Amino acid sequence: MNLDALTRTSGEWLRGTGPESDIVICSRIRLARNLADFPFTNRASDTEKTEIERICRATMDKAGLELDYQSVVNLDALDRQLLVERQLISRELSTGEGPRGVAIGPRENVSVMVNEEDHLRIQVMNSGFSLADVWEQINTLDDQIEEYLHYAFNPQLGYLTACPTNVGTGIRVGVMLHLPALANTKQIEKVFRALHKLNLAVRGLYGEGTQADGDFYQISNQQTLGKSERELIRNLSEVVPQIINYERQARQEWIGQRRQHLHDQVSRAYGVLKTAHTISSSETMHLLSSVRMGVNLGLIDDLEIRTVNELFIHTQPAHLQKIQGEPLEVDERNIARAGYIRRRLASDNQAAEERE
Amino acid sequence: MTCQRCSREASVHLSETVDGQRRELHLCGPCARKAGLTPPDPPPNAALEAIVDHLIVQHVGELVGELARTSCPLCGLKFMDFRTGGRLGCPNDYEAFTPGLLPLLRAAHGASRHVGKIPRKRTPPSRSPRLRLRARLREAISREEYELAAAIRDQLRQEDADQ
Repeated sequence: MNLDALTRTSGEWLRGTGPESDIVICSRIRLARNLADFPFTNRASDTEKTEIERICRATMDKAGLELDYQSVVNLDALDRQLLVERQLISRELSTGEGPRGVAIGPRENVSVMVNEEDHLRIQVMNSGFSLADVWEQINTLDDQIEEYLHYAFNPQLGYLTACPTNVGTGIRVGVMLHLPALANTKQIEKVFRALHKLNLAVRGLYGEGTQADGDFYQISNQQTLGKSERELIRNLSEVVPQIINYERQARQEWIGQRRQHLHDQVSRAYGVLKTAHTISSSETMHLLSSVRMGVNLGLIDDLEIRTVNELFIHTQPAHLQKIQGEPLEVDERNIARAGYIRRRLASDNQAAEERE
Repeated sequence: MTCQRCSREASVHLSETVDGQRRELHLCGPCARKAGLTPPDPPPNAALEAIVDHLIVQHVGELVGELARTSCPLCGLKFMDFRTGGRLGCPNDYEAFTPGLLPLLRAAHGASRHVGKIPRKRTPPSRSPRLRLRARLREAISREEYELAAAIRDQLRQEDADQ
């Protein structure tokens, strides 16, 4: 895979399509798996990690999976960060030690991390709210890989993982939601409390410990033992529509009570993005969040959701530096970011005019 | 004696017999590591370990103290290391630390029995011969029994090739 090409494409999960895609950015499931014959990654020597990497790569080849393997050790810091921004690898894999890597599917909807916290972290992501489809895909992928490996499995405790918080099914079922109205009206805290009682975790865009920049929230299961994969998926599938309704209701109330004010906020955000000459990453996320909601509410009609979704990712530091083709300091990045956004929005507007 | 792969002083000396031919290897630490023969960790400070053990028993009681002293025979991880770092060392730890882990699993998941997908191929970790073989390899290296280490390493390689 040519990593430079990632700056010109967008992954399947950024398409902005699929059920409920006005609020659900993407659905993601990951499975944690380990080889029975090796110590877990944190206890394995470099020689053993090399061996694990060799076995996993050979397995993916034998299983006929058309995935492109990248050894993370061979990538420079910028490329690693690019893969993190793209949600294809975790920060842990990016900053880890020793032989490790990731196999990526052509549409970026599949990624298999090797020697992360567990020997294998299999991940499938789809645009919109489609957990059942994602489960079908990842379950098949897991079966294909297992055909050639002995997974560490114990009849009482299920799939054995380096951290006991993942043992059992090893599954993490998550959806990434855009909740600007709930965040703006502070009702989001009530949602958090309710989710916490249901054993669901809420995190920011880039996982644990990250801020919910741009009003993006990832909701996922915490329990992995004692419930089947389907039950855990069903739990989340029942809760998410309620949050979607709650967000939609908050948007309608907002637009009903303060339409002019909301329209003004959205238009100003769009105006700043179209004209700014220097802009920070945090301000960009904040303004794009307003614009995204504006497009979904019909307050902006010359912009596609896909463009907005892409701008969220392509304006992140590593993407921006890859697009510019050179390392940039913070100030230079802010200037480059503003220029990139102006150009993207201008060409999207032009395309919209041509369609009319 | 200098290392056969670089000019540093050799610290690992290995002899093995391949097809009736005796072969000697003299390597420095870094080259031995590259060849998969890690030099041994320094021996544990037995006196200090005994003091720590005594303190644990005194402060947290015999039962917890016993758990704290438990270590996995295959990866060498101690239960206390797991409590500090939060990560287990190998699949066998789930058996080695069962009494300590079950209460934690119940607290984290509200359950202690797997319900869900079962792989078609199953290898009970405690009977995983290759995990055991790797443990023996590490043990041989730590005892500086390099001939035995080389033999185990060859056996593992042969099994890999046969798979």
